[in-house]
Amino acid sequence: MAANHSSDHESNANTRLYHPYQNYQVPINAQHLYKLPTSPEFLFSEESLKQRRSWGENLTFYTGTGYLGGSVAGASAGIISGIKSFEFGDTTKLKINRILNSSGLAGRTWGNRIGVVGLIYAGIESGVAAVTDKDDVWTSVVAGLGTGAVFRAARGVRSAAVAGALGGIAAGAVVAGKQVFKRYAHI
Amino acid sequence: MDIQKKKSREPGLYRIVNDIGYAFGIGAIGGSVFHFIKGTSNSPNGRRFAGGTQAVIMNAPRLGGSFAVFGGLFSAVDCTMVYIREKEDPWNSIIAGAATGGFLSMRQGIVAASRSAMMGGVLLALIKGPALMVNK
Repeated sequence: MAANHSSDHESNANTRLYHPYQNYQVPINAQHLYKLPTSPEFLFSEESLKQRRSWGENLTFYTGTGYLGGSVAGASAGIISGIKSFEFGDTTKLKINRILNSSGLAGRTWGNRIGVVGLIYAGIESGVAAVTDKDDVWTSVVAGLGTGAVFRAARGVRSAAVAGALGGIAAGAVVAGKQVFKRYAHI
Repeated sequence: MDIQKKKSREPGLYRIVNDIGYAFGIGAIGGSVFHFIKGTSNSPNGRRFAGGTQAVIMNAPRLGGSFAVFGGLFSAVDCTMVYIREKEDPWNSIIAGAATGGFLSMRQGIVAASRSAMMGGVLLALIKGPALMVNK
């Protein structure tokens, strides 16, 4: 097995001792024979070099942050508009009811929309990365384009094209901004 | 063989965000399929595709949102229980299910909230029941 041959090249700090029966409760006194590498094991060395999220994790992460961000932003906007709509002579119960209603409505609406945007974006980005096997700025730009287009597809071709262009520009700006931020902000 | 624990499975904010995304995806995609079929079958001939997509646009985000709220609350309470009790148990999930059910019906009053909490707890107990039995 490959693990046996490569164990001679690993230093002791990089290996973990592997006991073949470690997951079973059998009374076998086998020794820790194998030294396996501690990084995740891949069959091909090119696979192990890629530091990308799997498509499932990508999907859930973008959708989750989109939904959470949209909900929180919408809820805050809703609270503000609820406070603005107070009328003279409102009891406390009525005030709380107004705030809950408006923040709940705005939070739900915006959370749903941004969540759908995140879902579509993550799906297209994972698809493009899987097909072209690259993961650079252009993947994000194409994903932004596709997201904008799909999101406004129901309103017509022209609206979809405009939204797609906006989405592509926004995605490219975010990726470029992130790289600039990492380079100049020492984080 | 030992597999490294993925970052999205350790209790914490990252796991909550991932669970919200997971629930939203299930709700949105499942809802899209369901409402597309329902919309196309309810539309007149010649406007079936448009009817289907219209039904999806109207209903799928809402379904995704409700699933996401449920999943997010469940995951948040679950992670809090793990943090408090300092062990990973099926009991955490059962309490989380009860809390989610109760919290979501809180505006209907205390009686409706306790009934929903009991239903949520029972549902999670049924789901996690085999795990509980095996571990005992």
